[in-house]
Amino acid sequence: MDSVMPSRLCGYQVTLISVTEAHLEQLRAWRNSAHVKQYMLTQDNITPEQQLAWFAHVSRATNQHHYLIEYRDRLIGSCNLKTRGNASHIAQADHFELGLYIGDADYMGNLIAFAPTLVLNDFCFNALKAACLHAVVKPENQAAMRYNQQLGYVVVKSDGVVELSLTQERYEGCSKPLKQLLSRQRKTTAQ
Amino acid sequence: MSESQLTQAFVTALGISAEQVTDELTYNEIDAWDSTAHMILIAELEDTFDIMLDTDDIIDMSSVAKAKQILHKYQVNPE
Repeated sequence: MDSVMPSRLCGYQVTLISVTEAHLEQLRAWRNSAHVKQYMLTQDNITPEQQLAWFAHVSRATNQHHYLIEYRDRLIGSCNLKTRGNASHIAQADHFELGLYIGDADYMGNLIAFAPTLVLNDFCFNALKAACLHAVVKPENQAAMRYNQQLGYVVVKSDGVVELSLTQERYEGCSKPLKQLLSRQRKTTAQ
Repeated sequence: MSESQLTQAFVTALGISAEQVTDELTYNEIDAWDSTAHMILIAELEDTFDIMLDTDDIIDMSSVAKAKQILHKYQVNPE
């Protein structure tokens, strides 16, 4: 995967960890679960061979990077970043498309689902100097629509799938409350 | 300290009726309880009960029932 991207990114209570081969079965289990699959653009189940082929592809690719999301020492989902447009390398791009799913049903629809996106968005706008971020959502996925709109995304196209985009100015304005909530000091409880 | 204070905090923060504030009401279940409203709810609960919630509790507060459990940890008993 692209060397521009750190193997770990931390913030807002979560850690993003670059996907390795050891994660593939977990990813496949999430991706094939009904609650994740229903909102994917393709509905087919992924086989172990397909998962391995996918990993071989993304390991070589310089236009994308895939992470696992860790929260409270538990893997809860996956997120990724891809260049949009003609850039074949993350370092050369200024438009990116972000993807996310929460695989752990305990955290679906939970506030923590915003944390990985905040981490990636901050990295895109601050480190990669992104001009604009993009998201593609199936129109029936109202939860994802609301999610993106709370981050400041606006709908730019609705043609089979809904395309949304986000500028840094809108992101900074809209994400401030979320960042405040997810940046408070965390207490550790003695066991 | 009473359950009505807890209900009122939800009513004020989410802009919903008291009848809608049941144990089963969950975050993101209704448009009124989105992330922005959640932030307002946290501030309202902290003001009402004079507490400071930590991040784990803010994240875990995913329903009215869960809010009661969490408030109990802070020696707040909305019964």
